[in-house]
Amino acid sequence: MAIQTILVIEDDRFIGEMYVRSLKKAGYEVDWMIDGNDGLIAARNKAYNLILLDVMLPERRGSDILEALRGGSEDLIPHSKVLVLTNFEQDDESRLAMEKRADGYLIKAEITPSKLLAVIKQLDQQQPSA
Amino acid sequence: MAVTHPKLARDFWPHFQRRAVTIAILLQTLVLAALGGVLYVFGFFESDPMAATVVLVTTATASLIVSALLYRLIAQPLKDVLSAVIHVSGELAATTPPNPNEARFAKSGFRDVLQTIYELSSSDTPVISSQAASVDTPAVKTDLTPAVAHSLPEKALDNTTCGFVVMNQARQITFSNKAAPVNIDQEGASHLSLLFNGEDTLENWLTECEVTAVHAEHTWTRIPNKLPEEEGRRFFDVIGSYDKGAESEVVLTLIDRTESYSASEQELDFIAFAAHELRGPITVIRGYLDVLQDELSDVLRDDQHELFRRLTVSANRLSGYINNILNTSRYDRRHLKMHLTETTMTEVYDIIRDDMDLRSSAQGRLLSVAIPADLPKIAADPASLGEVMGNLIDNAIKYSNEGGAIEVTAAMKGELVEFSVEDHGIGMPGNVVSNLFQKFYRSHRSRETVAGTGIGLYISKAIVESHGGTISVRSEDGRGSTFSVSLPTYQAVAEKLKAGDNSNEGLIEQGSGWIKNHSMYRG
Repeated sequence: MAIQTILVIEDDRFIGEMYVRSLKKAGYEVDWMIDGNDGLIAARNKAYNLILLDVMLPERRGSDILEALRGGSEDLIPHSKVLVLTNFEQDDESRLAMEKRADGYLIKAEITPSKLLAVIKQLDQQQPSA
Repeated sequence: MAVTHPKLARDFWPHFQRRAVTIAILLQTLVLAALGGVLYVFGFFESDPMAATVVLVTTATASLIVSALLYRLIAQPLKDVLSAVIHVSGELAATTPPNPNEARFAKSGFRDVLQTIYELSSSDTPVISSQAASVDTPAVKTDLTPAVAHSLPEKALDNTTCGFVVMNQARQITFSNKAAPVNIDQEGASHLSLLFNGEDTLENWLTECEVTAVHAEHTWTRIPNKLPEEEGRRFFDVIGSYDKGAESEVVLTLIDRTESYSASEQELDFIAFAAHELRGPITVIRGYLDVLQDELSDVLRDDQHELFRRLTVSANRLSGYINNILNTSRYDRRHLKMHLTETTMTEVYDIIRDDMDLRSSAQGRLLSVAIPADLPKIAADPASLGEVMGNLIDNAIKYSNEGGAIEVTAAMKGELVEFSVEDHGIGMPGNVVSNLFQKFYRSHRSRETVAGTGIGLYISKAIVESHGGTISVRSEDGRGSTFSVSLPTYQAVAEKLKAGDNSNEGLIEQGSGWIKNHSMYRG
């Protein structure tokens, strides 16, 4: 199943809008949540193919969201991939913990929309093995 | 020759040696003379002068060898004992004291003798044997309970902010003053609460000392007693002294440097946060430039395209520079960690290839890249090594002229994979080269003519060295410079790590050994 639906959890309006615009233009179906609580609820209510997750978020941090979704014995989002997108320099332990649970971990400042699209395509190609 | 009697222990040996050798030679000569006399009296010289000479010469040679052997056998232990005595007496001497753990001592049983000398010298009360001291004497055991200051010096030590910790040969704490960061467990034994960096721990140092040293000192700086964000975290500079066999084998002096270190800690925190704040706008600038350039590609005139390229190049440079600052702040806080993966020079360069092409063409430099695809794999943190390559090419652009050629090459140099950036720009004189990798260093000339802050090469060196590699430069004033990065192959690193421990964590050994690789995985 190819990636079609994407959930963007991002509190910075400029950055969020930028990603949403490019993703929609590339033909994806995109929902955008700007706080951590709404993001977690959305992720649980709908089986998105991909979740773009920020770390520094109001209400609930990205690391907590990931913990809630994939930290327990059961993966609550078995049909979704998670891409962590952050500009925040986490300490090594938190970063490694997130890397372990996510399908990718990227620094936003290093990722332009076209690079993001390329990464998503790459994730799509990994699908069969996952 | 006037015979002077030695006053110091160290003077005894030369004196003894001189006498022993003189007497040995004298005796040998006497024996030979006697033998010659006997041969002469019995007429051997007349009947068979050849045989007589042979007998004399053989005897002389044989007895020379025998006396040398005997001398060595008897005098060597004496020499070792003397050398140990000289050491414990505190006299200055050029010789290193004998180490009881050497194999030859263990074999001959001489080890116990040396141990006894060291023990006797360092305890106030005479000890008969080390076993008796630690098993039978209750005094040693009671010392393990929390130290209660009873003597004047101990009370005095509790009044200082400097921590003192004394350990016995079993590495148990026998004394610690109030300022020392020590925990007492339920059984009443004290434990040091210090968080050492990487492999450079007290335990490791002591283990090394036990094998190799008789007396040793070691200093650790900026050692915290608790994790970040824990209550009451303090920083210490720790000085360890080791004296083999002494009752107080290890003495630690801890200087509380929390005040001076926490100030810089905050400063570095600020840098990390400032860099994070800068990244937000850069994300948007780079992102929308990317979007606009794409969407406007049909509308824009050529010169407007060029303006867009310049915007992109500038935004990319800014982003690279922020990474330099962040890495420097991490490095200075000892938080710079490399996540080594199996990769190739080509793969790493591919990360920055587009950016470099854009940068060099926007600045009018002729960049040529020749990295053979069949080079052995390397163990690298791709993002960090990419930053190093970018820094070197940036410098080549900065310090060369419009239209100048910049050659990026890679090759196998012995056991190492070498990546080089060569420019034909202004170059630099020798005195500049030697300071080049220091933090904030800018040559006098470039201060005036070229912008920069002098952290690019500093952090590049740190990154390369934490890969277990080296960075070097060849330069000719007015002719240009070549910077080279040499890295070990993946194979070499993997074997080294495997030999060290079987887990996926390891340490690249080098000068600043606290840089740890948390995830050594096959990419």
